[in-house]
Amino acid sequence: MSIAMNTAKLLCITSLLLCTNVFGACDFDTDDADAPNFMDRIIDCEQQPKAKLSTKKTARVATTKLYGEGTVDPISGMAERPVAAPGSMNHSPGKSFAARQSYSLRPNAKFEESVTIAIQRLHIEMAHYCAQGWAVEKQWTKASRQREGDFYLHYSFRCAD
Amino acid sequence: MKKVLLSAAVASTLSLASYGFADGPIDSTIYGKVNVSVVNADTGSTDQWKLNSNASRLGVKGKTEIADGLYAVYKAEFEMFVDDGSKDSSKSKCTAVLDQDGDATGDEVCFTDSNKDTFSQRNIMAGIRGGFGTVWAGKHDSPTKLAQNKIDLFNDLEGDIKNTFEGENRVSNIVAYTSPNINGFATTVAMMPGEGADLDGDGNDDTGLTDGISYSVSYTKDNLYIAVAGDQDVDSQDLMRIVAQYKIDALKLGVMYQQNEDNLGTKDESGFFVSAAYKLDSKTTLKAQYGSIEDDADGDKEDTMSLGADYKLAKGTKLYVFYTDNTDSSVGEADTDATAYGIGMEHKF
Repeated sequence: MSIAMNTAKLLCITSLLLCTNVFGACDFDTDDADAPNFMDRIIDCEQQPKAKLSTKKTARVATTKLYGEGTVDPISGMAERPVAAPGSMNHSPGKSFAARQSYSLRPNAKFEESVTIAIQRLHIEMAHYCAQGWAVEKQWTKASRQREGDFYLHYSFRCAD
Repeated sequence: MKKVLLSAAVASTLSLASYGFADGPIDSTIYGKVNVSVVNADTGSTDQWKLNSNASRLGVKGKTEIADGLYAVYKAEFEMFVDDGSKDSSKSKCTAVLDQDGDATGDEVCFTDSNKDTFSQRNIMAGIRGGFGTVWAGKHDSPTKLAQNKIDLFNDLEGDIKNTFEGENRVSNIVAYTSPNINGFATTVAMMPGEGADLDGDGNDDTGLTDGISYSVSYTKDNLYIAVAGDQDVDSQDLMRIVAQYKIDALKLGVMYQQNEDNLGTKDESGFFVSAAYKLDSKTTLKAQYGSIEDDADGDKEDTMSLGADYKLAKGTKLYVFYTDNTDSSVGEADTDATAYGIGMEHKF
């Protein structure tokens, strides 16, 4: 009985002295939850959230809105235009922004009203405010109330630390 | 294994937690399996057909990175009863009738269990994991049970080795340390405070921190797995077991040797267990296992033999058939022979 006790203590101390962080590959099976290495499975088989952009930080950082109610462009007839000129660069580490650009899915929409152009404009904006890099944390689309078939593509992005 | 969305309640709880405490996102996975079988069980005195749930379960596991390289980990697993929706609802339990001196009179009183649990607790734990290993606690399979490492090919069925061998314990109040894997070696050491229960069976309440101890040391390399594990004052017994598993192409072999004795001197067992699984093709696996353990204290002996086959329908889904013969031999008495055969389905998710 005492031998078992001493063996257990010895194992514990030895492990503490020798330990290194070695995680194996993941291929989780339900029965792995009851396997000797079930702890490895929990670590390895969940998504690895290595990105520094945690939801906590996102929630605590104020987001600067880069668009207003929308002014109608006389040429395209659509609201919202790029607010930054290409090549104009700034960088605010860790700061969050929200930008949007309009696009149209109407059959007679012009090319400059396409979602491709909207995305390009958003990237110009992101490059302007986060010249050293950024992460798009969220994107979503809302329908325009001004004309059926028109939409706003929104990007919420944060400058790299 | 699929990542699934948690229920709204659970998800919102976890989300709130992540805003308040966690440095990293909380990852959670729901997992489980449904395992049902139609079984004919003949105990010698009764012969009946049954629908069994075979430890079907639902679990949640996950981790949260609370600092660089430091994780909070958790697992909560519950058994669900696919056959009738409640634990032991249709089973009778019998207890021995004692005389005034506390001795067994030889009579039994039986009653129908009124436990109507929809879920029954299985392994529940929480811990902190880092480069140093993992410190964890909860109600969980002991390191000795974990060390068996599925050499039992008929786990949760009538041929489950827990029906023949001691040491297959899920213990309460377990506090454990699991080392990292170091060149194939890993160890887990656990202690169990008695909290006033009589863990060692000596008739006295146990109130210490290390009233029960369980440990395991394992080595894994390529297709080889070896483990040495032991219990001290767990389920009123001291126990030592050695487990080995080896895979040769389509053949997987398992072997276990075990010694255990209780603290009252009424049981002193030693026995062995062997198993083999042979994969005929990508879908079909043949399985066989045999175990025998003898009690040197009174000469009683228990044997278990199971044969079966699995047919894989898809990843995580299989059909299976089995036959089991469990024999209980007591000195001076006729052998008790319990046989069972059945067909079942298991689906893991």
